[in-house]
Amino acid sequence: MAIFKKGVHPRAHKERTRGEPIAQGPEPGEIWLPLSQHIGAPAIPVVQAGERVLRGQLVARKAEGVSANVYSPVAGTVKEIVGHISASGKKRDHIHIVNDFTGESVRLSPLSARTRESVLARIEEAGIVGMGGAGFPTAVKLNAEGRADVLVVNGAECEPYITCDERIMLEYSDELLAGIRLCMLACGAKEAVIGIEKNKPEAIALLRQKAGEGVCVRALPTRYPQGAEKQLIYGCTGRVVPEGGLPVDAGAVAVNVHTALAVCRAVEKGEPCCERVMTVSGGAVGRPGNYWVKNGTPLREVAAFCRADEGCARIVCGGPMMGEAVFSLKVCTGKTTSALLFLDEKECVSKAATACIGCGRCWQACPMGLAPNFIEAALFAKDYAEAKRCGALSCIGCGCCSYVCPAKRFLAQSVRLAQKTIRGRGI
Amino acid sequence: MAEISNYKVAASPHEIDNSNTRRIMLDVLIALLPCVVCGTLFYGLYALLLVVICTAVCFLSEQIFNLARRKPLTFDLSALVTGVILGLNLPPRAPWYIPVIGGVFAIVIVKMLFGGLGKNFANPAATARVFLLLAYSTVMSRYIGADISGNLLGTPSDLPTDFTSAPTYLSGGTAALSGSFWNVSGYPGYVLQLLFGYTGGSIGETCAVAILAGGVYLTARRVIDWRIPAVYLLTAAVMVLACYQSAREIPLQLLSGGLLFGAVFMATDYATSPKWRYNRILYAVGLGVLTVIIRRFGAYPEGTSLAILILNLLVPVMDRMILPVRFGQRTKSGKPMPRVAQWTALGLCAAMALALAVGVPTVAYTEVALEGGTYASVRSVSRNFRGEYEFTVEGEAYLADYDYTQPLAYVVTLDKEGKKVTDVEPVVQSTMGYTAELSLFEGRTYKEILDLTDLGTDAETSATHTNESLREMILECFAAYDYNIADYETIDYAGHANIVRAERRGDLYRFTVDGVADLAEYNYKQPLTYAVTLDASSGAVYAITTLTESTYGYTLDKPVFLGRTAAELSAMTEEGIQADITTGATVTNVAARDMILQCFAALEEVRHG
Repeated sequence: MAIFKKGVHPRAHKERTRGEPIAQGPEPGEIWLPLSQHIGAPAIPVVQAGERVLRGQLVARKAEGVSANVYSPVAGTVKEIVGHISASGKKRDHIHIVNDFTGESVRLSPLSARTRESVLARIEEAGIVGMGGAGFPTAVKLNAEGRADVLVVNGAECEPYITCDERIMLEYSDELLAGIRLCMLACGAKEAVIGIEKNKPEAIALLRQKAGEGVCVRALPTRYPQGAEKQLIYGCTGRVVPEGGLPVDAGAVAVNVHTALAVCRAVEKGEPCCERVMTVSGGAVGRPGNYWVKNGTPLREVAAFCRADEGCARIVCGGPMMGEAVFSLKVCTGKTTSALLFLDEKECVSKAATACIGCGRCWQACPMGLAPNFIEAALFAKDYAEAKRCGALSCIGCGCCSYVCPAKRFLAQSVRLAQKTIRGRGI
Repeated sequence: MAEISNYKVAASPHEIDNSNTRRIMLDVLIALLPCVVCGTLFYGLYALLLVVICTAVCFLSEQIFNLARRKPLTFDLSALVTGVILGLNLPPRAPWYIPVIGGVFAIVIVKMLFGGLGKNFANPAATARVFLLLAYSTVMSRYIGADISGNLLGTPSDLPTDFTSAPTYLSGGTAALSGSFWNVSGYPGYVLQLLFGYTGGSIGETCAVAILAGGVYLTARRVIDWRIPAVYLLTAAVMVLACYQSAREIPLQLLSGGLLFGAVFMATDYATSPKWRYNRILYAVGLGVLTVIIRRFGAYPEGTSLAILILNLLVPVMDRMILPVRFGQRTKSGKPMPRVAQWTALGLCAAMALALAVGVPTVAYTEVALEGGTYASVRSVSRNFRGEYEFTVEGEAYLADYDYTQPLAYVVTLDKEGKKVTDVEPVVQSTMGYTAELSLFEGRTYKEILDLTDLGTDAETSATHTNESLREMILECFAAYDYNIADYETIDYAGHANIVRAERRGDLYRFTVDGVADLAEYNYKQPLTYAVTLDASSGAVYAITTLTESTYGYTLDKPVFLGRTAAELSAMTEEGIQADITTGATVTNVAARDMILQCFAALEEVRHG
């Protein structure tokens, strides 16, 4: 059986939240709903300032091409559509809604006729995107009739700290499996493989017990980045996604467990995608755990709700290996914010880079088989052709090279920059 | 919490492991510690002083260079690693300026001028060693033997002015090693001796046990890639097998010189070894091939440093040319990229392992058991891969003029049929020039050696006594061959009660005969048993093997009897027997003569009914 062998073994830090059942998160007074919570074009607002919206009401519709609908998670009044700071640090358009705490809600009608087309249409309508972190619109991904024969479900959760997927697998296993069946229907896959790292034995046992025909559970070695799409497909099916290609090129479609849950709720209950389960953890958090957090909730509200304190040195949206550090609590959560980490001084190690000693650890760790230190050197020499030859374009940004580097060089960051420059200049 | 605060913003990853350059260097220093300790034990405190000087010079020259170039001082311990490794590469009695010059060369020329840590084009220690060897070849190849108590306070000025280097195995063969180590003699003794490094050599590179301990530590700490030393040694083993055609040579070569030390500590240097694991295998194969070729066919007995230096120069090219196959990488035609480097590397390893597995038994030595016979000088016999028999013999030559007993040891090789001597290799003999004239024996048949009368009157070395002793030892080898190796078939004989067994092999008849030496003075009757081989074609005694006789030294003087006919023996008077003997075992000799005559009688009966 194929086993993904590269990567690294970061400290898991999952013990603080993995035992916490999923709880209701904060009820924010105001939300700033990002129009761009997905890969592709930002959604187009369909509400105006002053308009009253209900919970579960469409507030921005998908643009042409790759895009996704946005729904309001609260009932209230649209104050304005305004440029607001996003996790990446840039100003992006957000819909500012003031919560009136009435909780009035609307839903999509539950789907009765479940055909491939109707399920796909509902997934698209509900604004579901890849909730593992990438945010690729799920309907686009699942529209692979005839080209995919296996659905790979990502329950690996290899990032440190994050436990929301594990909790979902334990608490919503029935809905999850129903969602997986719906995804199989939508993409035309005959079988589904749920890949789960071995450090979640309860989830493996539970899903194995409930899985049923056509769905199998594969226990994967605990190793980061086991849950990266290509590595996961390799670990679950032995198939290799060609370089520069998509999973469909290997006959596979990969979805996150949270996405499958959202699919189930959209189809069976008519709930659009407007909130998600999020792990809040880190040394500066007094009440770590897994919470349902509404999209557009400012980090300030989450911080207050979870009693994050002054000891916080770094705030990370997402996991520590690939998440983005933010400098302001005004930033709001979105569909892809799988975790919110308030790291204290101890956890937030940053060391000065020293000379590369050529140990080659980054070569051995890179799950894509790149030569990170050569790419970095090529970047510094502005030799982008060499950077490309060393594989800069294939980088998945997992950060293993920076993680292992004994000289503490910013390898992943350099490779990302090289990748961006090569793409930008069309070299 | 503050809305906007001094939250540290950085690009991911936000989690990094706790490895760092200094810790890696510290691990290497820890791994070098056993070598430093063993070097100090074997070669004395002066050797330790050399290592300390070298380390200090390396550290200081790096800092002085930094100051001169107005760069920050560096405390990553890498200069100390270079210093200790170079120090351990020096001969134990090198003058003080050798580590100073070597250290400055390694750090300033090889490392700092090329950009410092990680930028050096070759391993600084290996390059400095090669440089010192070229520039100071005399002192750099002047070794002393290991001596735990004797070397403790020794310095170069204690060495005699006409001091010649203690030979190492690489320069002097097994003669450079002591005959026995921890009471283990012969080949196992050599291996044991090299394993513990109790021999001449550079300070840190002799003790294999210490080096391996360091290597295991570094591998466990994941500081070095075990593939480099493992494949290096594997390749070297295969190359030794191919170039020396001897499986026994493999452990001796691998444990000698700087090979093991270089494989563990110098070939694994990060900056100058390939980054990808399969590249590392190819690199290690290159090292193994080159090292053995230099040793076998080059002018220098030692090849490790030179091989490392040369391969280091190839590493940048290898790294650029052979990149790992990326995940999902395709060829231009859309097929999965073939993993050529990976298959080549693994294929080479498999082929070499196979070559060893097949080759070693083919060229292996099989020990032949010496059962029954007791021998004065033959210690062990083994059959080499050519089918020849190698006898390890030990004896002594009494130099009456000097009242000195010279211990002797040789390896005597007899051909397959046990007819002639193909090779005599000295292991221990006099260092004063009284060495045996090997040409007297090599290539000669049994008969020729038996008939040798002139043993040194005109020998250049006038080593008459040594030659005589060697001749006796060689004759005993033939007897041992006759008794233990040659195939005899039993024949029926029931003529004389004393003859308990009769056997035949062509013209040779062997009789096992019992007898008694009546030592009247001691009121003791010494039972005797000999296996006497008679040559029917010449009618003479061919060989005698002792099965039972006195353990007090009253042993048979075989040369008195060998080659004699029955008539000659009968005519021999007691005085005649006595005149020839050295052990004074007259009674035994007389008894033996009668026993041999009984054998002749038996021979007559067997041949003529």
